[in-house]
Amino acid sequence: MNSYKLYKLIAKNADLKTKRHPMLDKNRFMKFLMAFMWLYYAAILLFMGVVMAVGMKGSYNGVAAFHVFDGGMLYLLICDFWFRFGLQETPAQNMQPYSLLPIRRSFLMNVYLTRSGFAWGNLYWGFLLVPFALIAIAVPLGWGACIGWLLGWWLLLIANGFAYLFCRALILKHLAWTLLPAAIHGALLAVMLIPDKNPLDMPCTLFMYDFLQWKLWPFLLVGCIIALLYWANYKLQMGMVYDEVGKKEEKEIKHATQFNFLNRYGKLGEYIKLEIKQRMRNKTVRMSFLVGIGLMVMFSVIMYFSDVYDNSFMRSFICLYNYIILGMMTLVTIMCYEGNYIDGLMSRRESILQLLTAKYYFNTLLLLIPPIILSPLMIIGKMSVWMNIGYLFFTAGVLYPLLFQMAVYNNNTLPMNTKITSKQGNTAQQIVSMVILFLPIGLEKAATALLGEPWGYLFLAALGIIGIATHQYWLRNVYSRFMARRYKNMEGFRASRNS
Amino acid sequence: MEIIINNLKKTFGEKVAVDIPELTIHSGELLGLVGNNGAGKSTLFRLILDLIKADTGTVHMRGGNVDVNVAETEAWKDWTGAFVDESFLIDYLTPDEYFQFIARLTDTSDEQLQEFLAQHQHFMADELAGQKKLIRTLSAGNKQKVGIMAAMLLRPQVLILDEPFNFLDPSSQNAIKHLLKKYNEETGATILVSSHNLQHTVDISERIVLLEHGKVIQDIDNKEKQAQNILENYFEIND
Repeated sequence: MNSYKLYKLIAKNADLKTKRHPMLDKNRFMKFLMAFMWLYYAAILLFMGVVMAVGMKGSYNGVAAFHVFDGGMLYLLICDFWFRFGLQETPAQNMQPYSLLPIRRSFLMNVYLTRSGFAWGNLYWGFLLVPFALIAIAVPLGWGACIGWLLGWWLLLIANGFAYLFCRALILKHLAWTLLPAAIHGALLAVMLIPDKNPLDMPCTLFMYDFLQWKLWPFLLVGCIIALLYWANYKLQMGMVYDEVGKKEEKEIKHATQFNFLNRYGKLGEYIKLEIKQRMRNKTVRMSFLVGIGLMVMFSVIMYFSDVYDNSFMRSFICLYNYIILGMMTLVTIMCYEGNYIDGLMSRRESILQLLTAKYYFNTLLLLIPPIILSPLMIIGKMSVWMNIGYLFFTAGVLYPLLFQMAVYNNNTLPMNTKITSKQGNTAQQIVSMVILFLPIGLEKAATALLGEPWGYLFLAALGIIGIATHQYWLRNVYSRFMARRYKNMEGFRASRNS
Repeated sequence: MEIIINNLKKTFGEKVAVDIPELTIHSGELLGLVGNNGAGKSTLFRLILDLIKADTGTVHMRGGNVDVNVAETEAWKDWTGAFVDESFLIDYLTPDEYFQFIARLTDTSDEQLQEFLAQHQHFMADELAGQKKLIRTLSAGNKQKVGIMAAMLLRPQVLILDEPFNFLDPSSQNAIKHLLKKYNEETGATILVSSHNLQHTVDISERIVLLEHGKVIQDIDNKEKQAQNILENYFEIND
């Protein structure tokens, strides 16, 4: 078989892997939802492209719209970089099935790197860039300039994709590498946001203008960067193939803490122990917990030391975020980790009810962490104590019951002990996350506008207390509905296990 | 405890996985289930354990004053122990923690648990109890042992084991045979075991059911070990 045919075959297998994922294969609604979300975001980008082309025209002392847009090009590239998490796998993760076949490893790596780097996903930003370029560049400067500018952007996005792949591969080795892109992007954002005038605005504008004029040097420069990043990825990821194929876990754990104080709570205590051990002993679960704590601290520190978030919306958002993030990270995908041993759980009487109750108590206990982290902000008066009380009870009594509804519908098993992979929940779960993050703020604003402070917050707390007081009732309701759907869910858990 | 299967049918697309009009597994019986790959052994076990939905039909467990349809109540879970595959194991626990977890759920005291583990120390060959290894790091054979031990821990009246001899070394296979026989004799529990190992199945089972394409094609009385020839002929072992 020649190289081109082999490339086509591997590419076809890679496409089938996505297309035949159990969650998509059997779920027509999920297919529809994903297509809808794809079109929805495309429409938003299209709309933004047109609005920006028209709105930016002459907005800064008569400067052309594309100059204004290009001045902020780094924002787009930073967004593009972070959006890739969860959507793009590294080549090393895909090469394992071919490791014993008579195909050169270097060939495989080139196939996957080429497909990753030049993926169609890079063109998605075209929904924003093309309408913008047509209105803001093609009309005043002609088609040549428009195509040059778009080509320049395409090359930049490819380079960004390879930079992402490089960082992602490092992060797979150790999560601490997340700090590398975070530090670079954080520094860039600081340089762009802190001074009165963005010092990178002009260099970016001039750089992009030379694409538009078809000057050779920007094309050559970005081409060289792509080649360099391709080479760096190749070297790094070839080493990682062995890690992926031969990954082995430590044979013994150092400390097998027993949490004997929970024994007095009988069966419930056993399930709470299970919750704690699940977080302590599984990389994916542990990391999401630590990332949650890290984000809470980061937002609070930024708010403490700067005035960037000193507005009503951001105050509410950070307060809510602190209370909901730890629960959200596990409850949106509630039961998905348990999918790994669902048959064992289902073989014991009412074990799911006990498990749900343990999850509720454990997550409610975790709500003691945010007031500690947010206390400096309350002390210096940047965040109201009433707001904290409101969101504390609202989270435990309203948002948690909402999130627990996912236990009825979730039926995709998530791996517990891999490093961060692309299996981080499905689209429906991501939508629920978004709703949980923003809907309460609307309610809070309405309540405080109507009732004033602190009554608006006390209203939120009262709603929460009702939910907390009735937790046994609604947990049993969730359990009964779970049991009614058990066959469908168990089938989904089995189908998505190890897929 | 008697297991009564009535008009039980399960299909996956066009493929009939299980189609059993009537089958009763009598109380205290040690029944071996044999058949080629895809015959429907595991599917039948999953139907008995209510882990998949039957297209039609019922599975009842009956004994004394009790008669339950497994799809309608969870009561039968109190007297049933099972190990079908790794999805029964919580793999981020150590074997000791897992046994303790199961013991607490089944109201088995710590003393009873220690006694149980001591009784089966030989089968576990000092590789499981007292170790700080997580179940996921164990060999397939040791995982199998953990699953079997956990299923037997609550001293169930109904014990269901899918391919219990798989992955085990010869001495462990022998040990599990004796263990099951002894448990059956001592407790009068109803035991269902599926296996591809005909010799072991014939050695321990008093009755053997042969499945093909989901249907019971032979129901063999094996009290005198007379199933050996029938099975060898069916599987064409001596050709």
